[in-house]
Amino acid sequence: MSEEIEQSDSGQDGDRLKDQQTAAVIAASSFIIFSVVYWFFQIQSVRELLELAYG
Amino acid sequence: MLNEWVYNIAVWLDDTRWSTMLHESYYMYNWVESTHVLTLMLSLGMLFLIDLRMLGWALPDVPASKMASRLNTPMLIGFTVMFITGILLFYAVPVRSAQSVWFRIKMVLLVACAINAYLFHKRMNESVASWDNEPRAPQRIRQGAILSLVFWCIIVICGRFIAYDWYDCNYGQTAFIEFMAGCVDGQERF
Amino acid sequence: MPISLLGPYGRSIITAAVIAAMLAFTLSYANEYAHGSLLGFFEWMETTWFGIIGKTWGGVFAIIQAFHLLSMAVLGGTILVSEFRVLGIFLNEISPQTVVQRAHSTFVWALVVVLFTGVFMACGVATKVYYLPVFWYKMLALGAGMLFHFYIRMPLYSNDFSQLNPRVLQMTAIASLLVWFLVAATGRWIGFSG
Repeated sequence: MSEEIEQSDSGQDGDRLKDQQTAAVIAASSFIIFSVVYWFFQIQSVRELLELAYG
Repeated sequence: MLNEWVYNIAVWLDDTRWSTMLHESYYMYNWVESTHVLTLMLSLGMLFLIDLRMLGWALPDVPASKMASRLNTPMLIGFTVMFITGILLFYAVPVRSAQSVWFRIKMVLLVACAINAYLFHKRMNESVASWDNEPRAPQRIRQGAILSLVFWCIIVICGRFIAYDWYDCNYGQTAFIEFMAGCVDGQERF
Repeated sequence: MPISLLGPYGRSIITAAVIAAMLAFTLSYANEYAHGSLLGFFEWMETTWFGIIGKTWGGVFAIIQAFHLLSMAVLGGTILVSEFRVLGIFLNEISPQTVVQRAHSTFVWALVVVLFTGVFMACGVATKVYYLPVFWYKMLALGAGMLFHFYIRMPLYSNDFSQLNPRVLQMTAIASLLVWFLVAATGRWIGFSG
């Protein structure tokens, strides 16, 4: 009986870990992709303005 | 005499082409200023964590010597970037900066911080073995940490105040402010 | 518990749903509608004590702004220390849990000061920042950063690190650094806009 409870606890722990890690991957990859796109366009717009100003 | 000398050097810097370019470049000036401010997170962020550790307010169970030695390198990198960008900001607006009361207080406090940091590290290295794992450092070290926190708070406030023109020489100030700011009789550049 | 109702992947489902909702909000007319409906609130902010003090005394505003910067420095410091430890850059002789958990309590205090001083500053210049896109980018980044910190990062970091995938830990640490850098950088840019 206690072994069954332990197994179910470790199974729940495994699920919880997987869930937390999947959530972290979803959120972290979104932020990383967003940051790359955001800063690329920010730098690009500055470059375009500088080109307009100085040729 | 000293004020005239400072003023003349500032005017000479102001006349250089790069100073004008930096001052008039919207993006470059803002990027330099942003870097100066954002590097606070690296320099003061690390320094404050070391100070707060000594007071027992942050990471109390991390050995004090480890905190101080490991955080030193990123902190010094941060201060180097701040120093370089700070010089560039001064160079972009040399006359007004040199005659800013706040800038002058900031420079004096920076020297005070450097002396305090030297004494703090000297005292810490002499005695750290006996209290490394204690949550709070001994009183003398804590005093150094509090001084560091207070000095840096005033430095950041002064840095923020530089942007305000309350005590600029071109507004006709009291004799005391003119003395503090180093205004020069008959100066034509502000 | 809503998470258990959603099955074993409740947190992941909620995270994906929040990101999708944020994207839909930013890319649709919903944000224009929300922006329009908030004008009255921002006008009211300027009439509060914070707004009146901020507008009347430039010195007080500047001091509060300096403390905003100082608390951002502490907040950034705690994030840098924790994430650098997770990435194995320094303090490797101390367990990552110890560094992360202890830095977190300092982070919370710094965040409280950042939010308090930030609200004060926003009240002083409410109708100005209302029309600045960069202010709204910062608010979105701040909201996303706080959600990420408390809902994703801290629960993940509270586990035994040896049980976690190192790549996931690295991604989380890098994302955390990026999001707080974005908050600070957009905040700085508010000062240059308008």
